Amino acid sequence: MIWVWIALAPILGGLVYGGERVLRARMQRRQGPPILQPFYDMFKLLDKRTLIVHAPHALLAVAHFFVLWFSVAAIFLGWNLLYIIFLHLFAQLLLILAGYSVRSVYSHIGSNRELLMVVAYEPILILVAVGLYLVSGSFEVSQILKSGGYLTQLPLLFAALLMIVPIKVKKSPFDVGEAHQEIVGGVEIEYSGVFYEFLYMSRFLEYIFIYSFIYLFGGESHWLGALLVAGVFLLVNLVDNATARVRPAQMVKIIYTVAMALAVFNLAGVLL
Amino acid sequence: MDMVLTLILLPIIASILLLMLPNQRAQYVVITAVLFFLGIGAFSLYTSMGLLTFQLSHTMNLAIVAADVLLLLFFLYQGRVFNHPKVMALAAVQLVLYGYIELIAPESGSAEIMVDSLSKFMFLIINGVGGIIVLYSVKYMEDEPASPLKKRLFVGGLLVFLSVMNLIVIANSILLFFFLFEMTTLASYLLIAFRDDDVSRANALKALWMNQIGGVVILLGALVAIIGFKTVMFDTLLQSSGGMVLFSIALLSMAALVKGASIPFEGWLLGAMVAPTPVSAMLHSATMVKIAPYLILKLAPALAVSMVGGIISIIGALVFVAASYLALSRSVLKEILGYSTVALLGLMMALAAIGSEESMNLAMALMLFHALSKALLFLSAGVLERLHHAKDIEDMKGMVTRSPKTVGFILFGFVSLTLPPFGLFMGKLFAISSIAALLKEHPSNLIILLSLIVGSALMVLLYFKVASALLSAPSDIRASEAIAIPNGFNVPLVLLSFFIVIGALGYIMLQHNIFVVLLALPMLFVFALPTLIRRMDRYDRSQPYHCGEKESFNAALVYYEPSLKLQRILYWGFGSLFVAVAIVGALS
Amino acid sequence: MKFFTPFRKKSPWVLHYNAGSCNGCDIEILASLAPKYDLERFGVINTGNPKQSDIFLVTGPVTYRSRERLVELYSQIPEPKVVVAVGSCTATGGVFRGMYNVEDGIDRYIPVDVYVPGCAASPQLIIDALVKGLEVLEAKSKEIEKPFKLFGAIETIHNKLSRLNMATKVEPHAKD
Ligand code: SF4
Repeated sequence: MIWVWIALAPILGGLVYGGERVLRARMQRRQGPPILQPFYDMFKLLDKRTLIVHAPHALLAVAHFFVLWFSVAAIFLGWNLLYIIFLHLFAQLLLILAGYSVRSVYSHIGSNRELLMVVAYEPILILVAVGLYLVSGSFEVSQILKSGGYLTQLPLLFAALLMIVPIKVKKSPFDVGEAHQEIVGGVEIEYSGVFYEFLYMSRFLEYIFIYSFIYLFGGESHWLGALLVAGVFLLVNLVDNATARVRPAQMVKIIYTVAMALAVFNLAGVLL
Repeated sequence: MDMVLTLILLPIIASILLLMLPNQRAQYVVITAVLFFLGIGAFSLYTSMGLLTFQLSHTMNLAIVAADVLLLLFFLYQGRVFNHPKVMALAAVQLVLYGYIELIAPESGSAEIMVDSLSKFMFLIINGVGGIIVLYSVKYMEDEPASPLKKRLFVGGLLVFLSVMNLIVIANSILLFFFLFEMTTLASYLLIAFRDDDVSRANALKALWMNQIGGVVILLGALVAIIGFKTVMFDTLLQSSGGMVLFSIALLSMAALVKGASIPFEGWLLGAMVAPTPVSAMLHSATMVKIAPYLILKLAPALAVSMVGGIISIIGALVFVAASYLALSRSVLKEILGYSTVALLGLMMALAAIGSEESMNLAMALMLFHALSKALLFLSAGVLERLHHAKDIEDMKGMVTRSPKTVGFILFGFVSLTLPPFGLFMGKLFAISSIAALLKEHPSNLIILLSLIVGSALMVLLYFKVASALLSAPSDIRASEAIAIPNGFNVPLVLLSFFIVIGALGYIMLQHNIFVVLLALPMLFVFALPTLIRRMDRYDRSQPYHCGEKESFNAALVYYEPSLKLQRILYWGFGSLFVAVAIVGALS
Repeated sequence: MKFFTPFRKKSPWVLHYNAGSCNGCDIEILASLAPKYDLERFGVINTGNPKQSDIFLVTGPVTYRSRERLVELYSQIPEPKVVVAVGSCTATGGVFRGMYNVEDGIDRYIPVDVYVPGCAASPQLIIDALVKGLEVLEAKSKEIEKPFKLFGAIETIHNKLSRLNMATKVEPHAKD
């Protein structure tokens, strides 16, 4: 059963993404695309002639997608949270290398920003893992889901996690990595056709990845988890529609001062 | 014991042989043979059990004392020749202290030489990695503008240095350790000054006086040990308790901080980067500076739950973050590597000073894998320097088209430092979980955990920033004008990469954890990619997007320069922490 | 593949390029993307990146400075692709016709599939033109389409098709 879910993860993520586009449209009082739009896009991309800059560049995107899928699968299988985080880092670094491997300014800037994003959210993710460990006594996702009370013990840590969700799903105010108006999508820029499709799908997986972390805070209660995910989903989109993009340096600063302080404060509180 | 003697004497004999052999082929034969025997010796020792001890005879002890005095006099003389008051003052202080200690030193109690499992492990690093670097240096020195004799002296010197290192890790007497510590300082000094220009000389003197601070604190530590416990042996000191023992230990571990080039002493290690690359690889990243974590590991039983251990691990952890951050403002590849060495040494010391069984094992694993990866990186940097005359990462833009293989090695080095399933990454990963497990009992470890996490993130930024300079190929259909790497460079690099992979595999197998094995899966996938490349022919190659312009652009590198104020805070902060080690030691 | 072809018209991603227009039509294009006319209903995304676009929305009469970029961008859009010329000046030169520095319409350089009249073209017309363009898009094949002028070469090097020189540079001061 779990393998079916893993296999369906990109499709699930696609639905979430499609739903989000509709939701954002409704927030702006427009009709928006159909909910299956991401899949139409995917099918269309398959039907395009594909241009690449060079072979390693294109293949790294494929590797990025599969490693990301692997890390999402690891969440579903209930593995160690730290392994999951680092697998995800691995995937991200493949993409960053790809971005650097072409002689294109936007791609380079995109990779730079992507790196800064990693620097910003990685510590918080690990602190979240440590926080969950301190309360539940295990790094294993399957064990974490067996106990509860995370939200009452780790409220500030949850807030810190909330702050990095926009970075991961590339939403304002922290959508510096994509920033279509400035750097035309950053690392994605040199991809087209089939290879862009892999990047497009990895965006779906990112949704699954980061919202799973939110879900973990629900603990044993699936309802609470689902509720949290839904709430955060709404909140993130609301914030996305209501704020402007910050600069990359500001983003790192904000995360390192506010989110980090929240997380450390909370952890210290749990320990003492 | 014979084996140990081989490890010590063989390099010396080989270096004498080398001096007499002008033929390069013969040199290679000698070095390969030595490398082979050293490797076998170190490995068989590593797998052997038991503790070996050895007592030095009276004449040997006297010879060491004489050599030591000569050495200090040489430092004094160098200080006079180059008119460097700090060098002179420190040498004089050491002379006085040393003389006084030898006067009151008790007749030796236990054996001066002791080969325990830690020493055996160090043999592995020293002889394995060190040997490969010596092999590399033959080719490297070929193009050095120096006389043939000087070149051979250089290679021979590196070999002698190996035996000094082999000796230092089995020294049980603090005074013997001091002598060898000073010998390594001498080696640094001479080899940094090898090119004998103004910059080299200045940096060599800097390394000399900073390292002598280490010598002074070792002597002070020995003094305290003699006054308090009437011993100059590490093992007796570690077994005794109460009184001044922690003070003595604290002083000794301060020497480790100096040798490990922790901030504020990182200046000497960065200055050392003007030396020929094999020196940087051997002394200043792979072997010599490993004395620092080694010493802390040796002292760990006493440091474990004390305040001194706590403060050292905090210093180490903070150095990890600070040095990674400072590295972001540098543009010379070797300096960047130097800073990251400083940072990782900090981490190893932090883990060693925590002193739990698990963290000590981790520190050791980090030492091994760091030595391998850093040696690989330094040697590749040397190749770029020799073949492409590029030292600065600004000059290395698009290097991948000019030297794809070297860039491959460098990238592999970076990956082995940051990603699963390689040893260094695994070490960091397990460190996080083991520190997290300790958090409940020692909440102060939160600082270490935080530094570890943030520092690792900064390191990723650092390495991949450098990668950005090396990569960026315009397309794959132009004929590449690549320069092939000569075999003299290629073989050591391949050997190191091979050992990194083997090490990673071995380390994974040791864990007995199926999930860890699975972490290696993505890497397999990445390795499989090149075979896919041939199938990519059917896609059109196109120009990168430049807003419709035809000209290709040059992407700039990003530097993150800390403000002057921040730098000053860093130096004062670390300086006072360094002093605090002694104070805490004296008080507890 | 046949199966995927119908989806072309469900997700048209556009690239908008200003080849020296007065900005009148650009504003109308943005208006049609904005909430009031909401082009996203049709799945339109303004990508700003030729490599991921299907529809090339061009405004302006093609000034001398913009010729090269126009052709370069066109050559970077993967086939199948559709060009929509928005505004009178894009079709014929409009108010700029005959000026010393313009080329009187983009169809001297690249093949145009749909023309939108109007100075400025109204959002309704732009939407109509896009929908018309979608029909064209569905009928097209994946063969490489070439620009009329400034076309360089498509060569095969080591079995790989190179579009690197598909668009050439304008020789300095060459007027034609
Ligand atoms: S058609 Fe008219 S409004 Fe549109 S760009 Fe041309 S001149 Fe401006």
